[in-house]
Amino acid sequence: MPEPNGGSPPPDHVTLTIDGQRVSVPKGTLIVEAAKRVDIEIPVFCYHHKLNPVGACRLCLVEVSPGPPKPQTACTTPVAEGMVVRTNSPLAVGARADILEYELVNHPLDCPVCDKGGECPLQDYTFRHGYPTSRVDAPRLHFQKPIPLSGRIALDRERCVLCYRCTRYYDEVAWEQELTVEQRGVESYIASQFDRPLQSIFSGNIIDLCPVGALTSRVWRFESRPWDMDHTASVCSRCAVGCSVTLWQRRNQLVRVTSHENDEIDEGWICDRGRFEYTHVNDPDRLRVPRVAGRDTTWDVALDALTAGLRGRSLGISLPRDVTNEELHLLGRLLAGPWKGARVALEGRTRLPAPGGETLRIAGIDGCRAVVVVASDLADDAPIVNLRVKKAVAKLGARLVVVNPGDIDLDRWPAAVHVRYEPGGAAAAVRGLAGHELLASGPVAILWGDGRGTEDTADLAAAVAELASRVDGRSMPLYRATNERGALAADLVHGVDDLDGCEAVLCWGPPATGAIPPTATFVAVWDTQLRPEHGQPDVVLPAASFAETQGSYTNLEGRVQFLRPVLRLDPPLREGWELLCEIGQRLEVPDMDFAGIFQVQRAAAQASPAFSALADPPAPGPVPTPVLYGPARP
Amino acid sequence: MALSTHAIEEIRALPARFPEIRSAVMPALDIAQDELGHLTQEAMSEVAELLKLDPGYVEGVATFYTLFRLEPTGKHHFSVCTNLSCTLRGAVEICDHIKKRIGVDEFREVSADGLFSVEEVECLGACEYAPMMRYQHRYHYDLTTGSVDELIDRAREEGDA
Repeated sequence: MPEPNGGSPPPDHVTLTIDGQRVSVPKGTLIVEAAKRVDIEIPVFCYHHKLNPVGACRLCLVEVSPGPPKPQTACTTPVAEGMVVRTNSPLAVGARADILEYELVNHPLDCPVCDKGGECPLQDYTFRHGYPTSRVDAPRLHFQKPIPLSGRIALDRERCVLCYRCTRYYDEVAWEQELTVEQRGVESYIASQFDRPLQSIFSGNIIDLCPVGALTSRVWRFESRPWDMDHTASVCSRCAVGCSVTLWQRRNQLVRVTSHENDEIDEGWICDRGRFEYTHVNDPDRLRVPRVAGRDTTWDVALDALTAGLRGRSLGISLPRDVTNEELHLLGRLLAGPWKGARVALEGRTRLPAPGGETLRIAGIDGCRAVVVVASDLADDAPIVNLRVKKAVAKLGARLVVVNPGDIDLDRWPAAVHVRYEPGGAAAAVRGLAGHELLASGPVAILWGDGRGTEDTADLAAAVAELASRVDGRSMPLYRATNERGALAADLVHGVDDLDGCEAVLCWGPPATGAIPPTATFVAVWDTQLRPEHGQPDVVLPAASFAETQGSYTNLEGRVQFLRPVLRLDPPLREGWELLCEIGQRLEVPDMDFAGIFQVQRAAAQASPAFSALADPPAPGPVPTPVLYGPARP
Repeated sequence: MALSTHAIEEIRALPARFPEIRSAVMPALDIAQDELGHLTQEAMSEVAELLKLDPGYVEGVATFYTLFRLEPTGKHHFSVCTNLSCTLRGAVEICDHIKKRIGVDEFREVSADGLFSVEEVECLGACEYAPMMRYQHRYHYDLTTGSVDELIDRAREEGDA
C-alpha cells in the first residue's frame, strides 16, 4: 500500500521509489510486485505471482540505482531501502522494446486467427512497450501447428515465447512432468512427454497461464472473440471444493469457463472438470419443454401428472450433486409435509457424517506443519485441495503423511510417509498415528475421506477426532458432492441413500444410485438432458443448469458461496427454487409463495442456523476482471 | 527391458555420488547410450524409473545435448569437427572421403551394413591438431585420408571377426 499520509511504515517494510512514487513494501518483495502497488505496469511473460521467479524472458527490465549500469530484471530483484527504480528511463524503455522485438522474431503474427487475440499480453505489450516495426527480416522458425497436446488443449509452437510458465506450473504446482522443454536455445520448444497426450486433471490451467496464443483450449477453439463475450464470476458446480470460476457467454451460450483467482480456495487454479465440462449447457438436444408420456406439454399438465403420480406411493427422491441450499430448504418443507417419509439420495455423496462444527479451512492448510491425508485420493476427490496440499508441502515445508491402501497422486513427493492398511482399516491406521514423530509439532491438517465407501465413517470420524486432540490437529472431512455439506446441514440426507423398494421416483439430475430402482412404477425425471440411465420416464421436467441458476452452495470447508448466473433463462425453462415453490403450492404446503430468491434465502436463514449466511448475500458488485495473467493488471 | 543387468546396476549406483538425484541423469543416459548406441524412448523411461524421476524430465535433458543421440548410429560413429581450423586443414574432404568409404550420402546416415555413420560437430577444442575427430571416446588428430582408411579397415576387420 502507498504510505498513508506520511506515517512511518512497519518495521519489516522497506521504502523505495518507483518512477518518482514512494512505496513501502515488506522486505523481500520483488520490484515487479512493488510496482503493482502503485499501479505501474512492468510487463512480464515468465513471471507469475504463483510460480517461482525464473528471469527467463527479460521483458521486465528496469533501471535500478544504486545498481549496476545495466537494466535489471524486476521479477527477480528484491526491493531494498532507498532503492530508486525507473521503468520509464530511456535505458529501461529501450531494453524492453528490444526484448519485445526479439520475442517477435519468430512469432507468426497470426493474431487475426488466434484465439488469444484481444486478451493477449504479447499483443498488449507490443502496442504499449514495443517498436511499431521490426528490423529483423530473417526467415522465421516454422513448426507443425496446431499440435493437440490432449483432447482439450492445442499447442502452437510458433507463437510460443518460451516463458516456461506451463512447464514450471506442471513441475512446481501440479507435480507432473508430462510437459517438457525439448532441444535448446532458439530451437527449443514445448512438448508433451514422448508426444503422448496430457493426462493430468490439472492440465487446463496452462491455457490461462500462457501469456501468448501458444496454448489454447480446443473446446473453446474459434468459438468467440474475447471482446464479444460477457463474463461473470461464479462458483464451480462440479465438486465440493467450490472453486471460483469465470463464466463467459456469447449470444446466451456458455462458451468458456476460466479460473477466477480466490486465494481463500483455489489460488487461481481450477481442474479440468470445472474448466471443460460445460458443453451440455449449450446442447441443442437439451430438454427445454416439459413432457408427459413422451409428448411435449405445458408446465401445468406436467406438474399435475407429477403430483398425481407421486401421491400415495412410497417415494424416493434423487438429488443432483449441485442442488443449491435454497432448493434444499424448499425441498425440506415438502419433505416435512406432503412428501413425509420419502427416501432421499444425493448424487456423488460420500458417507461422511455431518461436521460437528467448524472444520479446517482450505487456506488453513498453508499454516500447517504437517498434512495427513486419510482414505482419499485427493486428486480425484477434491482436486484443488490436492494442489493446496502440494503447495504446503513443496513450498511451505509441511511434512506429508499419506494413509491409504494404494498409491495416490501425492506419493510423488519423495519424502512422503505412506501408511498402508487393508480397506476397512483406516480408523485403526489413524489411531496408530498418534505419537508419530512427523506429527510432533503442529498444527496438523487431517484431511479424510470415505475410502470410496470402504470405510466405517463413524468410526473413522471418531479416530480422526482422537488424533486431532492428541497432535494439535485440524480436521477437514472431504465431501465430494458439490453441496453435500449444505445437504447435511439441512438434514435431508442421512443414513443409507439407496432408493430400493420405492414405488415412485423423482430423479433430479442423474440417478444418485446409478439406476432407477426397478420397483418404481412411476418415474419423473428433472434434468437438463435425458440420460440412458433414466430409461422411459413418465414425466420429464427440464432443469436449469448451473449457468442459469441463482442460489448458493456450501463447500467442503463450510463456506457459503453464491452462483451468479451468466445466461438468461429462456422460457419455458424455470429455476429449481421456482419449480419447488410451485409444487409446494399445488400440494398446499403453507408459505410457499415466494416472489424471488431473496425471499427464499431469508426464509431459509430464519429456519436454520446452517443457512444464516443466506440472509445477506454479497452484492454482485462490479464485474471483476478475470485473472488471465495476474490480478493487478493496471 | 532395454538395458542389461550390468547397466542397470551401474545406474542404480549413481545417485549416491551426487547431492541431487537429478544430477545423475546425464551419466545414466551416457551408460544407456553406450550400451544401446542411441537413446530410445524405452531407455529414457527406464533411466527415469531407475532414478525415480519422470520420463518427461529425462527426455528434456536428452534432447538438450547433441552428445545424446536419439536416432540410431552405426556401431562405429565418427564425429568430425568442421569448424574453422579443421575446415581450413581439409575437414570437408575428410568427411567426403569417409562418406564415400562407408557408402553413405548424408551425415547421420547409417551404412547398409549397420557398421558406420559420420556426423559433423562443432569445435572440440583441439584446433592445433586440425583436422580432427572424436571416435570411440578418443580424439584422433591430424587426419589424412590414409589415417581414416586405417581406422575404417580396422573397424571392418573387427566387424568380420
